[in-house]
Amino acid sequence: MSPLLMGLLGVMLLPLFVANWRSSLLGLSCQGLLIGWAAYRLDPHLASPHTWLTLADLVLLRGFGAPLLLYRALRGKNRALHQQFFSPNLLTWTIALGLVLAAFNLAASLIPQDGDERALTSVATAGVLLAFLVLASQAGAFGQVVGALRLENGIALFELGEQQRHEHITLHIGQLALVLATLSLYLWLFRGLVETHEAHASTDEPTL
Amino acid sequence: MTILALVVAPSILAVLVALGISGRKAALLLLGCALLTAGLSVAAVARVTAPAFTFENLVRVDATTRLFLVVVNPIFLGISSYVWYRVHTTPALRGGMRRFVAWAAVFLASTNALLLANHLLALWMLLELTALAATPLVVGHGHVESRGAALRYLLFSTVGLGLVALGFGCLSRGMVASGQSSTFFVDRLIELRPTANAWSRLGLCLVLLGLGTKLGLAPMYSWLPETYDQAPPAVAAMLGAVQFNAALVVLFRVVQAYRATSPALVASQLLAMGLVSMLVSTVSIIATRNIKRLIAYAAINHAGVIAIGLAVGGSATYGLLLYVLSNAFIKAILFLTTGKIFAHYKTNDTRVISGLIHDLPYSGVFLMVGTIALLGFPPFGSFLGELLILSALVGSGRMLTFAAFCTLITMTFVATGRTVFPMIWGLSKERHEWPRQTLLAGLPKLTFLLALVGLGIYIPPSVNTLLQAVARSLGGP
Repeated sequence: MSPLLMGLLGVMLLPLFVANWRSSLLGLSCQGLLIGWAAYRLDPHLASPHTWLTLADLVLLRGFGAPLLLYRALRGKNRALHQQFFSPNLLTWTIALGLVLAAFNLAASLIPQDGDERALTSVATAGVLLAFLVLASQAGAFGQVVGALRLENGIALFELGEQQRHEHITLHIGQLALVLATLSLYLWLFRGLVETHEAHASTDEPTL
Repeated sequence: MTILALVVAPSILAVLVALGISGRKAALLLLGCALLTAGLSVAAVARVTAPAFTFENLVRVDATTRLFLVVVNPIFLGISSYVWYRVHTTPALRGGMRRFVAWAAVFLASTNALLLANHLLALWMLLELTALAATPLVVGHGHVESRGAALRYLLFSTVGLGLVALGFGCLSRGMVASGQSSTFFVDRLIELRPTANAWSRLGLCLVLLGLGTKLGLAPMYSWLPETYDQAPPAVAAMLGAVQFNAALVVLFRVVQAYRATSPALVASQLLAMGLVSMLVSTVSIIATRNIKRLIAYAAINHAGVIAIGLAVGGSATYGLLLYVLSNAFIKAILFLTTGKIFAHYKTNDTRVISGLIHDLPYSGVFLMVGTIALLGFPPFGSFLGELLILSALVGSGRMLTFAAFCTLITMTFVATGRTVFPMIWGLSKERHEWPRQTLLAGLPKLTFLLALVGLGIYIPPSVNTLLQAVARSLGGP
């Protein structure tokens, strides 16, 4: 396995061991940047417009945009929201390591030949399974948003291993726009939840 | 080309409203746009006969497209007229109209585009777009509960559609591994009949699980009751009657393209998801005391029945389609009726609401008839659809599934009747002086009701031909 993929696996696992909100945002950022680097290595001459779009998505949106905006939304706000992230204990660490092993076994059964493709698929599968672990163990909004973003990163890494993925540039542009819109909505809802945490619902107002 | 107006007209409306039209004018424009798209969809059904392609094959108009266009657009028209009436009679609602109409127009445009799409990635993206457009609508007034529900809705949509994207990736790799040229065009996939291998089986599992999440099928159904409960009734009707069908069309496209690849896997996974969904929804219907949640659990139950019908295939497919169409009208009637009930009683608690037939006669009748149709009694289309699915279950020798299906449906009958009928026929707990209900307010629901009865008694030949064509494309006779 290449050092890049090992690093990627590291930034997927480490925030689960350190388990605080800052490290989880740093982990998200590193994941975006490292997946961006992996995409760049696949087309170092940047010959295809698909590569530009992929890099914009991975580096600008996932590497910098989403973690920084989430950081700004959380900084100085409700402490309870800060603490809503993954419990660092022996059980969750064992489950996390077990999921990584399962991911490598699954990839080995799908791709019998050892090589880059199998390694990339293994790390991508580990990313997806760890994202599900975060989603399944979190009830708070912050942990769930981080889990969803981890899942998106795992899928983005998996897509790098595919051939003939985008037959139309318009579809790729549309996909990028959707990622941007999804991130914006997450941030809007998350900010709203942080700001209206103390608000109470009233049934007196009319509704559609 | 006129069919593209189904996408262009709502998109223009979204831009116009975003630029500054608000209040009653915005609601009226939404109604006008919905009227236009409903008219165009009916015209499209009447005119086009053979599958037609355009825009480098990205757009395809076939029987599935035509059938769902003619269901989704008139239902959206009914919802729009309900919204217009509520805004017309309740000035306090006018403030939030600009945002509502802009997002509702995006929702309609993306749903119509999805029905026209011939590319699996485009279908996936457009389904995600409908979810993104619906999220701000779920928020409503911005209470913390509705924001939480909207976040959960968006989260489950993202996760479900993420699984679908992952599944499509696996299916693509499966084609490459089998030496076939990878494609996401639905018509080419139907022709190619992708070969089964480990990648394609994994891909199909993920796609079915992801789309099951969007349809409210077990195991990832928990977003649905909360979202339908917290969303304004008009939005709940949009999600239940419009977006549900959009997600179903994506599932139909996947089944059309990949059923031949792994028929046993598709059938067993859909059957398991369907039965578990029926089980959890039945238990929840017994426990709930909230009318909107009850309808939401019934929607999960219906999704389970649809999954079972799709799993059985063959002669069940025609019944399944009747059930799907009836289901859309039933959910629209019931959610819009709960909106009216909530506007008067200020609660969704079934123990508080009583004597509807005296207090709100039209709403009482709609709730009663909608519930009877929901439970699958004659003369509604849902009865005929359920009967055909049950007969196909017996015909295919799945007696254990048949027994489980009948037991769960019976329990649902009893639990729903026990909760809803006292609301309608019970004594009024308090006397209220409410404004007299006009027939105009109930006109959309009345139209849906007529369509529902029509599906059970007399199906026009043109609709019947469409139903048969879609049933054939899903493996029916």
